Amino acid sequence: MTQFDGKGSQVTVGVPAGRLKPKRVRRNLDLTLWEKLYVFEIIRGMYVTTKHFALNMLGFVLPPRGKKRSVFTVYYPDEKVVLPPAYRGRPVLVMRPDGTERCVACGLCETACPGHAISIVGAERENGERYPLSYVLDMTRCVYCGFCEEVCPKEAIVMSSEYQGLAETDRSRMRYSKEQLLRSEESVKGRIEYIRRIYSKCNY
Amino acid sequence: MVADLIESVAKIVFIFSINLGFFAPILGWVERKQSAVMQDRIGANRANIGKFTIIGLFHPIADAVKVLTKEDFVPAGANKFFHTLAPFICLVPAIATFSVIPFGGQYELFGHHVNLVIADLDVGILFVFALTSLATFGVVLAGWSSRSNWSLLGGLRASAQMLSYEVAMGLAIIGIIMVFGTLKLSEIGAMQENFLHWGIFIQPLGFILFFTCAVAENKRVPFDVPEAESELVAGYFTEYSGLKFVMFWMSEFLEIVTISGILTTLFLGAWHIPFVTDAMLLSFFQFAGPNGATILAMLVNIATFFAKVIFFIWLQMTIRWTLPRFRYDQVMRLCWKMILPLSLINISITGLVLLLWIK
Amino acid sequence: MQLLMFYLLGLGAVVAALIMVTNKRPVRAAMSLIATMSFLAGLYVLLDAHLIAALQLIVYAGAIMVLFLFVIMLLNIEEKEGRLAGSALLWQMIAIAVVGLVFVLMVSVVKLSDNVVPLGEAAALFGTTRAVGKMLFTEYLLPFEIASVLLLAAIVGAVILAKRRIDDSDQ
Repeated sequence: MTQFDGKGSQVTVGVPAGRLKPKRVRRNLDLTLWEKLYVFEIIRGMYVTTKHFALNMLGFVLPPRGKKRSVFTVYYPDEKVVLPPAYRGRPVLVMRPDGTERCVACGLCETACPGHAISIVGAERENGERYPLSYVLDMTRCVYCGFCEEVCPKEAIVMSSEYQGLAETDRSRMRYSKEQLLRSEESVKGRIEYIRRIYSKCNY
Repeated sequence: MVADLIESVAKIVFIFSINLGFFAPILGWVERKQSAVMQDRIGANRANIGKFTIIGLFHPIADAVKVLTKEDFVPAGANKFFHTLAPFICLVPAIATFSVIPFGGQYELFGHHVNLVIADLDVGILFVFALTSLATFGVVLAGWSSRSNWSLLGGLRASAQMLSYEVAMGLAIIGIIMVFGTLKLSEIGAMQENFLHWGIFIQPLGFILFFTCAVAENKRVPFDVPEAESELVAGYFTEYSGLKFVMFWMSEFLEIVTISGILTTLFLGAWHIPFVTDAMLLSFFQFAGPNGATILAMLVNIATFFAKVIFFIWLQMTIRWTLPRFRYDQVMRLCWKMILPLSLINISITGLVLLLWIK
Repeated sequence: MQLLMFYLLGLGAVVAALIMVTNKRPVRAAMSLIATMSFLAGLYVLLDAHLIAALQLIVYAGAIMVLFLFVIMLLNIEEKEGRLAGSALLWQMIAIAVVGLVFVLMVSVVKLSDNVVPLGEAAALFGTTRAVGKMLFTEYLLPFEIASVLLLAAIVGAVILAKRRIDDSDQ
């Protein structure tokens, strides 16, 4: 089930997962005699496609009212898909409400990163708290594996659902600094709840 | 004499304009749009003039402009002469085959005998086979002259496949030729005036076999091994661009139309409406005077014929977007081990029935 | 009009045949042969033999030449620029002379025999599928069947040549 961020209204397409009936699939490779005759199986397949064709042609003539739509196409720049929290987009740093980053520059993400995309220079504030003086994420090397998010003890780096603007024509512009990566807590709330579930980070 | 000339020119112009002016450009759009509708997509709808998109019907025009402005590319080391010749060899038979297909009956109009077929040849259907066998060379030459391994493999596959299916296709229609006793397509069409005499009821097996062979001969999807894009990039026309590339596509689309025309003529009652005889049609339009009635009946017959053609085009498109591609050995096995024996059985049974019951 | 067509088609056939013989590149020679076949089909049409013309295109131009091209492409025969040796040239000349002699003989036999139908008196049904079929299955039944036996022998021979031997297959 996909949801669209259309002109203010959310549009549901396709069959909701709960309504899908499980189908029994025969997995042996030997064809029965009936299937070896081809013609009837071909007619069966054509019946399925023709059914879709006829229903959709009817939909062209009489567009279905309401939110349900039978066409799966997303008019991409006009419509955008609201991505599920499991989607791993650009890794971003989470910002506290006071504007500072959650990151304590422990360097675990730097170690865990398989592509060596992260480089951190840590420093200490006056109150003794550590913070990253610079946090450089080289997106030319990032493979969107999400290890940084998994190892982070402070939920400071999460995989956001951002997928636009990831490609650049210049490599130097793909090295993101700390300021470019900071996102507010609300914008990645869904993902934080999700990683708490899947990584069992509920004990603190 | 002058009337004959006018009649011939009118028929040729009509077929040319409906094939090259209507079917060839529109079928590209139909294929995209129909596949989209079948797969719950929207399909081509972005080409526009101002605010108007008319469900993507500007796409053929946009494609034409794109194609005409593209570079005509000949790969280094390719045989330039044959590389240029190949698409023409493909296209010309595809255009010419429609000349023997009757798109209407025979009428008396203003004291002049009108036969709605460009060339009413005695060898009718054999002429179609002769031309389609020539179309094989276009494919083979395209594959060979491009000097690319993909193309060469596509050409090799095409030559073997088209040759095999030509044999099977020839045998598949012998049944119906035996029943009607003529090769002349206009006579075969005229004999199917009675709804129960339609070829599909007389020769159901022959219909399936011929349809299969025709689709294979046209190299459309269940049998598109010569141009299998997941294996051979684009097969025999990998190295083609611009107008020459489009000529291959046009020949494929025109062959779809031709196959539909032949299927309609042989198996689906040609220009006849079920349960309506020519005399009934004429008496129905009696109010328009004798000539007016003839013209109206003629138009109805032509419309019926092309409606059936469009049905078969739709059917072929549906098959193309329903079935997956055969493996190459499966294609050949289907031809030589299933279709060929089945058509021989069909011929024998037809012969026996004709000999024992009909005579 | 008909004469003009005849000369055009005949000239085309001869020129294509000459190109076929003299060209050293196999694909070009094969394509010229196809052109020759097509021109011959045109000549048959001029003789009102539509069936033969269609069969010429289907069988010779369509099927056999595709096999020629298939073999040429499959073996990827290179262009040979070698010259013929003296003795080979001699044999070639002899072969051409013999073929020419046979051709002249054939023409004279046809000319001298009485039962050749003059072109102008060809019956209305001449060359139609029905007429040719009737001839094949009545008057010329024996040659027709013998030709089919010959083809059957060729098929059997091809199968035997192409089939893997039994003791080879388990290797």
